[in-house]
Amino acid sequence: MSTPVAMQPVAEPAIGANSPRPARRLTGFMPLIALAALVVALAVADPDFLTLRSLTAVSRTAAPLIVLAAGATLIVLCGGIDLSIAALASLSTVLLALWLPDLGGLATPAVIGVAAAIGAVQGAAHVLLRIPSFIVTLGGMSILSAVALVVSGAGTVRVVDDTPVKWLDLYVAGYVPMSAAMALVVVALIAAILKATPLHSWVSATGYSESAARLAGTPVDLVKIGAFCVSGACAGFAAAMLVSRQYSGGPTMADNLLLPAVAAIVVGGTAITGGHGSLWRSLAGALVVTLLRVGLPIVGVPSAYEQILYGAIIVVAVALTLDWSKVSIIK
Amino acid sequence: MSVPAEREPATPAPVPALEVRGLVKHYPGVKALDGVDLVVRQHEVLGLAGENGAGKSTLLKALVGLVTPDAGEIYVRGEAVKLRSVVDAANHGIGMVFQEQSLVPNLTAAENILLGGEGAAVRRGVYRWDVMRRLAQEQLDKIGSNIDPLARTDTLSFADRQMVEIAKVLRIEQRSQHPPVIILDEPTSVLESKEIDTLFAQIRRLREFASVVFVSHRLDEVLDVCDRVTVLRGGRSVGEVATAGAVPRELHRMMIGSTGSDDHYHENAAAAVAAEQPRLSVRGLSGRSFRDIDLDVAAGEIVAIVGVHGSGREDVCRALFGIEPTTAGEIRMDGKRISLPNTRAACAAGIGYVPAERKTEGMVGPMSVAENMTLTKQKARCAGPFVAPRKQAGLVDRWIERLSIRTPGRDTPIQRLSGGNQQKVVLARWLIGGDIRLLLLDHPTRGLDVGARSEVYRLMRELAAGGVATVLLADSLEEAIGLADRILVMNDGRVAAEVACPNGGKPSPLDLVKEMV
Repeated sequence: MSTPVAMQPVAEPAIGANSPRPARRLTGFMPLIALAALVVALAVADPDFLTLRSLTAVSRTAAPLIVLAAGATLIVLCGGIDLSIAALASLSTVLLALWLPDLGGLATPAVIGVAAAIGAVQGAAHVLLRIPSFIVTLGGMSILSAVALVVSGAGTVRVVDDTPVKWLDLYVAGYVPMSAAMALVVVALIAAILKATPLHSWVSATGYSESAARLAGTPVDLVKIGAFCVSGACAGFAAAMLVSRQYSGGPTMADNLLLPAVAAIVVGGTAITGGHGSLWRSLAGALVVTLLRVGLPIVGVPSAYEQILYGAIIVVAVALTLDWSKVSIIK
Repeated sequence: MSVPAEREPATPAPVPALEVRGLVKHYPGVKALDGVDLVVRQHEVLGLAGENGAGKSTLLKALVGLVTPDAGEIYVRGEAVKLRSVVDAANHGIGMVFQEQSLVPNLTAAENILLGGEGAAVRRGVYRWDVMRRLAQEQLDKIGSNIDPLARTDTLSFADRQMVEIAKVLRIEQRSQHPPVIILDEPTSVLESKEIDTLFAQIRRLREFASVVFVSHRLDEVLDVCDRVTVLRGGRSVGEVATAGAVPRELHRMMIGSTGSDDHYHENAAAAVAAEQPRLSVRGLSGRSFRDIDLDVAAGEIVAIVGVHGSGREDVCRALFGIEPTTAGEIRMDGKRISLPNTRAACAAGIGYVPAERKTEGMVGPMSVAENMTLTKQKARCAGPFVAPRKQAGLVDRWIERLSIRTPGRDTPIQRLSGGNQQKVVLARWLIGGDIRLLLLDHPTRGLDVGARSEVYRLMRELAAGGVATVLLADSLEEAIGLADRILVMNDGRVAAEVACPNGGKPSPLDLVKEMV
């Protein structure tokens, strides 16, 4: 007699109306499928690709991109975007290179702190002045690039003694690049904090529906400023990886990472409209983007075509993941 | 149905301009239209009356092709049609003047009137202002308006803009050789009384060459301007009234039905109201759209605020939750003065708010029942800074059971639930912390069917019995009267009257309407 009959028909009528588009279901696995397909394709095109050496090189190349994309993913999850990450990372390489001689081991945390503060300032400008994040960070990108040029004297800043950042360029167990391992740690750490605390609810609610989140008493403004702050810190850390590898800082050193980072986020399947997605998706996305990057020369495509690829990837990935029910007018 | 008999015309009735038979439209959890029948005769002004949620808007949207009905037929001059878009409807001679005005403010009246149908007014992509002016003037002449076609729309009064809208809609005459059907959805809600007179004169003029469907909340207006009224209730047509000699009370009775179940609002469960100091005490609260609001709500008391659109009652409610800014006045909770700069402060003060727009403001659709329920009172599911999964599961399941929320599970996205169950989750959000002292309910039963409404009512009674003070913006006057212990009538941003509303001594809707307008 205790059959839960009443439970049966409950959700039936609504499910059809709200079920995700078929494409949406696919996008859940899209980054992994793309990743596997790429690995197979590259292995076929170049049998040397699957050697330890080349895999190590790929993961080392991917590390700064993974960190940049991880930070920016937080902002996208909140429904915004950060276009300044690459410029901020470039500026950070300059600062790090300049500060290393005086601050030594403290230079890296100092640069990460400054980058986090710059991110927080942009977040505060977005929240308090009610300017779209797209505009704030577009302006920020320009300002930070210029500051990097001024501070560096418009040239590369060489690092004579790179001992304090050398550790980032070492290898764990001989083969795993430290930078790649640290990138994984960053992704895992942020993802774990999100998952284990109310932050996940707050970030998702802010991204899916800011007005509903606000009316539920969610600290929307703080969440957004926090996301920008973390994104800034990630840009600073990515800069440390670049400096450790190149023994220098440069005012445009990370600039070419902006499009790949955005591509990594959207290829991972995080919705550009906010709410839906995760940092792990961006990790997979970053690997896909990196493989494409190293794979193009292997299959004989000149690297000049790279930018065309990023542009196309972003447009196609967003087309596949966009939640049309949420956007009635496309601006 | 006890419907007053229609006076049979002497001549055989011509084919109706528009006829609707058995129109059905489902939304998740709600039957918006449940077999509506409607006849619009040629050269007649038909009124459409019904409470919120009776299906008026859905029906109108179906008539102009914005909503595709699940079943039923629409006939235009006797011919069955499928209306797939506004253009489709216009081709059949059906046009609508929308409730929210649809003019582009920084264009001239002429540009607005011809928008999307410039025709001869554009040659090789360039405006020909003389032709445009002439074509627009032709449209304005049809309604005898003396508005300058070259005036910018944002310099016109609301009434004049409405004339421009009507002139614009009348363009559909060019698409169909038959007299058009013009739908006016709540056209008077933004107008002053003198402007309303002008509008009504215009509607009578339209009748000469068109049929008109007129929708308004104000029954006296409906009776004044219409020849006949169709009453909708619960997605069905429940009656027709010839307006000659009819009184608003008669219409109103049909709109709300013979409230059947005596205890629809669970009046017998009304809580005893604490007599000592009020839970919420508001003095002289002023903001953008309200002035000098005094409001007391005791623990266990339900106070309804009623008023027409634009009376400022929604803003008062939002001000009490720290959304709408205030310029003066004080708010006290249990005697202690509080300030509400934002929603966080309101939550911390033990105030909860259920917004009118459930789907966009009340809940986060893609997130789970559990996440939606715990969104505000995070502490209730956490141990230290971390979410405790077991604690959360126990808490959420307990409330699912307590409020009999029907859901496949706590991890189901809330958007898959029916409206009533969604609303219960939104309500539970404020209850799980155990610290709720004041609930602000903004149209808590909007879009819910009868059964779900009843459950929300019962829940409100239970909460009141538990000592929660409630401010209610009801969906209808009937609902306000049925649920409230006391009613504040707001008019033009001020409290116009306060009416005691005890069980057994309830005022009639007409008593309240007197103060509302």
